[in-house]
Amino acid sequence: MTTSKAGRVAAYAALAVYAVISVYPFLWMVSGAFKDRTEILRGGHLIPQHFTFDTIVTTWSQLRFFEYFRNSLVVTGLTVLGVLVVYSLASYAFAVLEFPGRRILFWFFVSLLFVPGITVLLPVVILEKNLGLLGTHIGLVLPFVNGTAPLTVLLLTNSYRSIPRELREAARTDGARETRIFWSVYLPLARPAHITIAVLTAVPTWNEYVLTRVSITDHSRYTLPLGLESLIASEVPRYNEVMAASLIIVLPVIALFLFLQRYFVTGLVGAIKG
Amino acid sequence: MSTLTAAKRSGRLRGEPPERARRLPEWLVGWAFVLPAVALFLVMGVYTIGSGFALSFAKWNGFTPEWTWVGIQNYLDLLYADPSLAPEFRAAAWHTAQVMIAVPVLTVVISLPLAVALNSIRRLRSVLRSVYFLPYVTSGIAVYYAWRYVLEPDGAVNLLLRAAGLGSLAQPQGFLGNPATALPTLIVVLVWSSVPIATLLYLSGLQAIDPNMIEAAQIDGAAQRQVLRRIVWPLLRPITAAIVLLGVRDALHGFQIFLIMTGGGPGGHTDVLGLQTYRLSFMKGLAQTLGVASALGWLLFAGALLLTLVNARMLRRVK
Repeated sequence: MTTSKAGRVAAYAALAVYAVISVYPFLWMVSGAFKDRTEILRGGHLIPQHFTFDTIVTTWSQLRFFEYFRNSLVVTGLTVLGVLVVYSLASYAFAVLEFPGRRILFWFFVSLLFVPGITVLLPVVILEKNLGLLGTHIGLVLPFVNGTAPLTVLLLTNSYRSIPRELREAARTDGARETRIFWSVYLPLARPAHITIAVLTAVPTWNEYVLTRVSITDHSRYTLPLGLESLIASEVPRYNEVMAASLIIVLPVIALFLFLQRYFVTGLVGAIKG
Repeated sequence: MSTLTAAKRSGRLRGEPPERARRLPEWLVGWAFVLPAVALFLVMGVYTIGSGFALSFAKWNGFTPEWTWVGIQNYLDLLYADPSLAPEFRAAAWHTAQVMIAVPVLTVVISLPLAVALNSIRRLRSVLRSVYFLPYVTSGIAVYYAWRYVLEPDGAVNLLLRAAGLGSLAQPQGFLGNPATALPTLIVVLVWSSVPIATLLYLSGLQAIDPNMIEAAQIDGAAQRQVLRRIVWPLLRPITAAIVLLGVRDALHGFQIFLIMTGGGPGGHTDVLGLQTYRLSFMKGLAQTLGVASALGWLLFAGALLLTLVNARMLRRVK
């Protein structure tokens, strides 16, 4: 669209204002993380007057953040792995293979999108209590994996369908088995879709709070969000430490985002339009 | 030996496939591939959905071995019969409805102009897109705590208002402590976290519009405003519908932000249906509230399904 000069200035001004709004809480998060205990109470300046690294250092050591970090990494890693293995296999079958019940099963998985998480939260907790899984990391991973089914199946099936069928026919003519075709033809060709799924699964899992909150009671199994919560639950929240902990949680996600940005963007657009 | 090889060779010459691996029938392979997903779903999905639905017709506290069957009493209790649950339910439903309408509308009002502006510039576009995307990527407990911090009585928002000479708008009890401002404040935070995706969707929609069409309109003398209203807006309508659908779904499904930022307070002024379900499920100790919690969960499901169907119909009509 051709725009006048005045229009362009207005556009830049509006964009700049929203850019500030967009990062506003992050600015104060960073600011708070480098303030000491007395300064944080006085509020005041965005730029810390008594700049200190102590807050980050104490928060990290005091709260066993390394342990929480490792737990978060385990839960998120296993969830992503589980999602990729289970649903790439299933989506391959939905996209490529002929078998009775294929269409019904596919639509069944996709329609689960409309079951609110809170509706099944209580039954999941009761079930895991009976199975002895409640409070373990596997007890988190299984429902997390299952919860991504609708979106993942939709996205991966679409992506496998877009791969020309001739490739499969050619591989079959050369005598390749189904597992081989899946592994050597479809998986490499659909790599961008897999990365998208990995990212779209990793971010909410890393931040998950509700199921984790009601199932994990053992401190040594806490993930980062729970560790952060235990900070603020103490009588008077020390906001400098809360902000330092928040920063520690948020930074890996921002790093992941910056590295894999294009997969986020194309993946989200694809997922929502599909 | 040699004759066999010769036969093979002639087979290959005739275009027959070389020694075929013995194949399992395709339907069996298909079922083998979907088996892990189906197995996981049978355990984590079918069982939980089934038992949750059954529980919504019973009373149970989670500890006694037996459920007490009560029929549809749990649903009636929520809708009108129980003197303490029903008003709580109605208040939460009213707050949920406000969120459900305000968040999608404000999201569209903010993100569409943002996307149009973003689409009209060339420099800095990708940098700004990343900046705008930040709230989505980091949505979770950490960012909600940061919001709590800036909304404190002595927080950055109050300071900013006082410094800008708008001290009358500042909230001495904090924006989340005042019953009148708590829900609107949470709506603002929700809009803040849903603008990224909406902007991204609008931007991709705008980039898909044929520039020749707009140029033709401009040659015919259409003003910028008319181009936006008559051409761009109608073409973006499916995207708007998708954004509204997502917003409505989030309003019914999501309550994390309410749990973390206010816990429903002050005085229940930010209670929503998801949060009420959560409270009835996990915070009532030995009281027999698990059945009624399940019933509420299924009412939410019914609401989500109904609104989705209505929305899908509207979407089809638009198309």
